[in-house]
Amino acid sequence: MEPMLRSVSGDMSIFWISLGMGLAVAAILALSAVAFTLEYAVSNVVNLAHGEVLTIGAYAAYVSDTNFHQNLYVCAMIATIFGALAGTALNFGLIERFRNQKPLSTLIATLGASLILQNLLLIGFGGASVSYGFAQGSLLHVGPFLWTTLTIRVMLSAVVVAGLMYILLQRTRLGKALRAVSQNRELAQVSGIPARSVVMQTWAVAGAISGFAGFLYGETIGTITPTVGNGFLLLSITAAVGGGLGRPYATLGGAVVLGLVMSIAGTYTSSAYQLVFAFGFLVVMLLIKPNGMFVRGRALTVRA
Amino acid sequence: MSATALLEIESLSKSFGGVVAVSDCTMTIREGSVVGLIGPNGAGKSSVIDLVSGFEQPSSGSVRFAGVDVVGKRPDQISRMGMIRTFQTPREWRDLSVLDNVRVGRSDLERESLWRSLTSARRLRRQDALDTEELRELMAHYHLDELRNDRAVGLSGGQKRLLEFARIASAKPRLTILDEPMGGVNPVLGERIGEAIRELKKAGSTVVVVEHNLPFVEKTCDEVIVMDLGSVIAQGRFDELRDNKRVVDAYLGNDDE
Amino acid sequence: MLQYWTAILTEATIFGVLALGIDMIWGWAGDFDLSAYAYFALGVYMTIIMTVGKAKAPVEYVLGWRLPYLLAVVIAVVVVVAFASIIGAIALRNLRDVYFSITTFGAVWAIYYLVENFTPLFNGYNGVFGLFDPMGQHLSYNAYHYFFFAFCLLVLFLVYLLVQRLSTSPFGRMVRAVRDDERAASVYGRNVFWAKYRTYLFGAGLAGLSGGLFAAYIGAFNPLDWKPTEIFVLYAAILVGGRGNPRGVVLGSFIVYVGFVEMTRYIPSPAARPELGPALRQILIGLLIILMLKFRPSGLLPERLGTDGTSVQRSWRRWFTRSRRLPDPRPDDVASDPVIGVES
Repeated sequence: MEPMLRSVSGDMSIFWISLGMGLAVAAILALSAVAFTLEYAVSNVVNLAHGEVLTIGAYAAYVSDTNFHQNLYVCAMIATIFGALAGTALNFGLIERFRNQKPLSTLIATLGASLILQNLLLIGFGGASVSYGFAQGSLLHVGPFLWTTLTIRVMLSAVVVAGLMYILLQRTRLGKALRAVSQNRELAQVSGIPARSVVMQTWAVAGAISGFAGFLYGETIGTITPTVGNGFLLLSITAAVGGGLGRPYATLGGAVVLGLVMSIAGTYTSSAYQLVFAFGFLVVMLLIKPNGMFVRGRALTVRA
Repeated sequence: MSATALLEIESLSKSFGGVVAVSDCTMTIREGSVVGLIGPNGAGKSSVIDLVSGFEQPSSGSVRFAGVDVVGKRPDQISRMGMIRTFQTPREWRDLSVLDNVRVGRSDLERESLWRSLTSARRLRRQDALDTEELRELMAHYHLDELRNDRAVGLSGGQKRLLEFARIASAKPRLTILDEPMGGVNPVLGERIGEAIRELKKAGSTVVVVEHNLPFVEKTCDEVIVMDLGSVIAQGRFDELRDNKRVVDAYLGNDDE
Repeated sequence: MLQYWTAILTEATIFGVLALGIDMIWGWAGDFDLSAYAYFALGVYMTIIMTVGKAKAPVEYVLGWRLPYLLAVVIAVVVVVAFASIIGAIALRNLRDVYFSITTFGAVWAIYYLVENFTPLFNGYNGVFGLFDPMGQHLSYNAYHYFFFAFCLLVLFLVYLLVQRLSTSPFGRMVRAVRDDERAASVYGRNVFWAKYRTYLFGAGLAGLSGGLFAAYIGAFNPLDWKPTEIFVLYAAILVGGRGNPRGVVLGSFIVYVGFVEMTRYIPSPAARPELGPALRQILIGLLIILMLKFRPSGLLPERLGTDGTSVQRSWRRWFTRSRRLPDPRPDDVASDPVIGVES
């Protein structure tokens, strides 16, 4: 009886540890996915250059860490600022230029932008992976979880950003305008809402969140490459579509579910299969509930 | 009641979530007639069309077209039985030429088999060429012959309406359902559209017209069906219904009935 | 020098076949498919493993037959079409537009990671190899390469004839009608799914065929050779040449492959920075996609209109005029948009 009990408890602890890591990744994923969904909400665009904004944030923090020896908080701030700049530039330089075209054309254009940005980063920083000089912190047992101080900090800051975003969406004029514009831009425009500037501000906010998420991700996994955002883009799409594309709270839910599914799947298979699971999850979600699992209403045929 | 029933709708109901769009709607369209389907906004006219043509599935009730139950069939299956509908906005195939729009409207599905397109392309092209004369006559009839080699997207709103009629005429349906054919149309073109509907009837098609323009309905339709709150409240000749209290109430929004 | 050009042109020819297939899916049927490169890759893998013989440890892969090259290509195409019929059935049933693209994007990466990590299938990360020349033992090295180029050119020509014939046929016309407005197409009796599905399978088959050719050209294949992002080059080629016009698509593949390989050859790539040349090439591809999409979405040779041939000057004048802007979405489209108009 006794050996069996021990083995069960051993399995359980691995389960809890990987669940704990999964929560940290889910927290970052949630930020990234929400940014992605905000972009879709105001511009009706599936931004395939989203991953590059994350990467830009990560590298901005890297430069200020290695070249200018700034501390953790300044680096995080710089990642956020550069993310916001990248988001704004993307909106101004590309998305607004394709405003009157079909959503699919805009999607293809962002694909082009993704290629350009990714390779600019490759030229600028080289293909080899780099990492921050911040300490990983010490190991901590919290309940059944085994976390480092770093992962706890990551999760806390993700929760704080999510909270700030809630306040932004619910309590500020920008949030109200944002919701109006996402319903119908033309109608919002004629009702006196400066739609152009609302869209621009939303992209800045989304970019800032992405940049910050990129920094957190680089900090958590420890290495940054020019393609680091690429894999994250796919996960963000999966979370956003799974939860409800264009709906921040539904997306948040989708990200948490996806993060948990992935980390539980990761307990039993290798991490590469984790991604296979994730995209399988995406396809299944699109088939059974294309509007997202946290959106009420019948499953519509999705056409645009 | 001499002619046979072409379309029989019986206690049809449809609700979206909690909103009832069509409730217990029953009507019969006789073969060879031009029927106006009228009613205030939100009466459920467009929903009925969507249900009949297979774009939506009813919650309950039945729809029989030419004696066959069509509930559960796809729009293209229903269409192949001889029913063509339009939408509130004209829907042309934008990057096809006007000529090709009318060609596709002809619905010669045999010709479109992938295998035959690969093996006997030349014969198919000859068959297409044989039709050209007839189609050009048809297009000339709708003032489109000059534009036949242009991209359909470049047509004006009125020309797109006419293209829609040319397409229907080339398809020769048994039943045509027109959803607000007069929407955004100037009076001169309106005359032409009224004429087009009479021509459809002459060519043997039964026509259902959903329309808000009552003088137009009076002039064009043999019979009128009035809907309100998702069901039929009256059916008959236009002048008979003029004094019907329920109809007047429905239109004036009198709720204390 | 001649060898160099032969190599580039062979590559352009092979990718011309692939571009024709992808253009059927995107140009004709309007489905922006991001998984097509997986069909190409599957064609390469299948052809190689059906011709190189049994796997020897530590290399492992399935089948390991030793079939004649041409037979292997035919079987590879069949396998690719069978595989695409599953993906297509899933993605085309209810999903359209950006949702279709997202689905295929997810599918291609799932396949990619699976192939990369599941070694029993195609030897995972290290890929399959075993260079073989379908005619190699009978010809000298150079003669073989010229011969193979001529062979690819012949295949491209035949495929072009086939696709061009289909493009101007009633089938091509119907598929384009479905692309332009599928509700209207179903009102006129067309089965939308079936039209898109057949086009998809045909395009996937061409991708598989192109993979079969590429297998003989490259001889070794691993996941680094088929990053799903490689498909962007093909979309750039289609955009440059003319979406929906087979002649334009072939022209575009030659322009992009020859032009870009040549252009990036003169970019100095210091030994310490080997990634510079390819990176610049990718940047140019990205720019090309955006600029074509913005300023000349119909390409150098726009899609041909089905006319009765009486006013030809109109269509050649279109060479010099910008194509029309797209109009705003129709109200019905907005109503069925999952975000704006969910009926509740």
